[in-house]
Amino acid sequence: MRCGTTGSSNKKYGIEISQKEAEELRNAIRATSIKVMEEYIERMKKTWPNRPEAMQYFYDVAKFFGTREREIQKAKEEGRKVIGYTCMFTPIELILAADAIPVRVSSGFYDPVKLGNRIVPVEVCPVVRSTIGVEMIGLSPYLELSDALITPLTCDGMTKLSEILSDRKPVWILHPPRLKDSDQSMFFWIEELRTLKAKIERLTGTRIIAKKLKAAIEVMHKATRAFRRLQEIRKGAPVIMGRDAMLVNQTSMWDDIERWTRKTEELCNELEKRIQEKAWACPPETPRVMIAGSPTIWPDNWKLPNIIEEASPQGVIVADELCSGDRFLFDPVGVDEWTMNDMFKAVAERYLLPSTCPCFTSEDGNKDRVNWLTARIKERQVDGVIYHVFRGCMLYAMEYMRIKRVLEKINVPVYYLDTDYTREDVGQIKTRVEAFLEMLKSRAEF
Amino acid sequence: MLLEVVSEALKLIIFAGLALAGILAILIWRKDRKTKVSCLRFFVQAVATTAFFFIFSYTAQLLIILVVIFALSIFLGRFFCGWLCPFGLYLDLVTAVRKALKIRYWNLPDKVNKFLNKLRYVLLLFFIALPFILERIEPWQWSLAKFLMGPFKPISVLLGPVEPLVVPWESSLKLYGMNLSYPYASIIAFYSGENLAIITISIFIGLTLASSFAVRRFWCRFCPTGVSFAVLNRFKIFQRIPLLRLNKVEEKCTKCGICKRVCPAQVTDVYEEKGGDITTSMCMLCLRCIEMCPYEDCLKLNMAGKTLFRSRNWLEPSKIE
Repeated sequence: MRCGTTGSSNKKYGIEISQKEAEELRNAIRATSIKVMEEYIERMKKTWPNRPEAMQYFYDVAKFFGTREREIQKAKEEGRKVIGYTCMFTPIELILAADAIPVRVSSGFYDPVKLGNRIVPVEVCPVVRSTIGVEMIGLSPYLELSDALITPLTCDGMTKLSEILSDRKPVWILHPPRLKDSDQSMFFWIEELRTLKAKIERLTGTRIIAKKLKAAIEVMHKATRAFRRLQEIRKGAPVIMGRDAMLVNQTSMWDDIERWTRKTEELCNELEKRIQEKAWACPPETPRVMIAGSPTIWPDNWKLPNIIEEASPQGVIVADELCSGDRFLFDPVGVDEWTMNDMFKAVAERYLLPSTCPCFTSEDGNKDRVNWLTARIKERQVDGVIYHVFRGCMLYAMEYMRIKRVLEKINVPVYYLDTDYTREDVGQIKTRVEAFLEMLKSRAEF
Repeated sequence: MLLEVVSEALKLIIFAGLALAGILAILIWRKDRKTKVSCLRFFVQAVATTAFFFIFSYTAQLLIILVVIFALSIFLGRFFCGWLCPFGLYLDLVTAVRKALKIRYWNLPDKVNKFLNKLRYVLLLFFIALPFILERIEPWQWSLAKFLMGPFKPISVLLGPVEPLVVPWESSLKLYGMNLSYPYASIIAFYSGENLAIITISIFIGLTLASSFAVRRFWCRFCPTGVSFAVLNRFKIFQRIPLLRLNKVEEKCTKCGICKRVCPAQVTDVYEEKGGDITTSMCMLCLRCIEMCPYEDCLKLNMAGKTLFRSRNWLEPSKIE
């Protein structure tokens, strides 16, 4: 395992740390994380005791430092490349088409945030600080194993994160335009992806030809199908707890996507059987909650989902609007003709146009996001929305008013919850969430 | 005599076969109505082409066809262009060949497309008005003028696209005694004179096929017949009449842009409009956008308020009803 090099060098941001310190910190944080992951899984199991057997697979994959790490290591030894990405804008199809392994590396670890504070101010989004910290001590196996990183420039945090990470790893910066709806944006974005494609080809030594891209698109279609099937199941009375569904969604980011698809289909089969048996995971009248806003990332930042589903009165997360959740695999690549040109365009469009990230701006006030939210709220019969925002996540925080006004119109209560990568505010958040759930409950009874 | 009987029988067999194929397709469609509209459309086009071929061989009352098409278009909009027009079928076949060869297509820039959209009204006006003007200036001399004054001839410009490949009358393209033709060929032949007919027709065939090889349904973007339907729908009285309507649910749309990309006529309104009725005169109702839209119930084809066809999550195999 590679860790910090000592001595002065021409590092731009100097994310350096003595080897000894790095090792100590890594071992300590790793031990805590393993404990935390196991604790969270135990807690998830406790809330939903009669869980389907197919869930066990996702718990195994969710344990970061385990089988999947070894698997990727083995694949690397066999000559396959690993490409990490920090954001949903990365075209996974291109990575798969080049026989590389895509892994999402934005970090959810709490403890490395303190290390990140040495480089960037505390006001910066905790995901960014945590990712820097993780990179400093080499904590996340996926970040360590990736040969190159794709960092889309979405928010300000991500923009500088790509610079900071480039001290350690080759970083391919991807620049999504801030305006979606114009020809020049699309032209720019396609050219941007062409450049990325060339870089991927150079790294892996595999040319992305039409046949391979088609195969990759079909693999992702299957994954999307399984993903959407799971979301479809969440529409009705809860047969799966929200946390578990969210975990399934997140494992797709580092798991082997074909195996993940297979396992998700198995899970869906089992869940559909349960719908017929009416074996609900929690009482059907439980308040149905949606999380919107900043992403909650496994393992540590499972705070909010844990609190919602363990609170009394209990709530169940039936939907989320997170780029680490329901939005991740929701849209398929719609190919009209299987020519390289059309496929490439389809891939480019899929990653730019349906995205509801608040980093886009438009005259109609990110209407796409509003539509996405209202459609999801209606089809999943959401009772209330919790708007989760990190301190320092400007874009999501600034869009709150817009979303609030829309949701007020359709009479759905929304609660603004700002938090950080810290365990200190668990009690406080719990009180706030419980009050909100209590309110939702009384609304339903009323 | 015998040969004639055999050829008539052959024609009947072809027709019967096509009709059967059409019926089969409709049966399949009824069972699994949410997939393969494009296939169904091909069947319908083939059947319609055969039907037009027969109409041309048995009746000289071509004006009646025109009236029927117009009546149809009043009630169905440009349904004719997408589903019945023989010329459309040929262009679609060219596209199918291109698809099989895995060659890319080109898009016209949106501005050019919008310009063509406006230009076709001018073109139509030009076609209709010019004979009257030219008649005043110099009666019936100039062959170009004759070409343009289609409406007064047995085959008018407006009936051009339905002209079958084999015609019962004497044409300038002959192959083994068969009178071959092509949409608009007889008009071009008639007005360009005996000597030039083959050359001008070949140029026309080459241009239309090559252009639609590169740009999907190129001709249809300024086709005079198509635009005449559009003109009808411009009038307030006719606007409400067409029964076939494309509808979009704004909330369900994520603006993923698939509908814009797959549209063979490069209609952008389906993508750009907010929601509600999104039928435009550019749209040929080929329903490719509905077929490819991956969101349940986002795009719909309504006929008099009843939904005939709707978009679905095409990743799931459709359930047989």
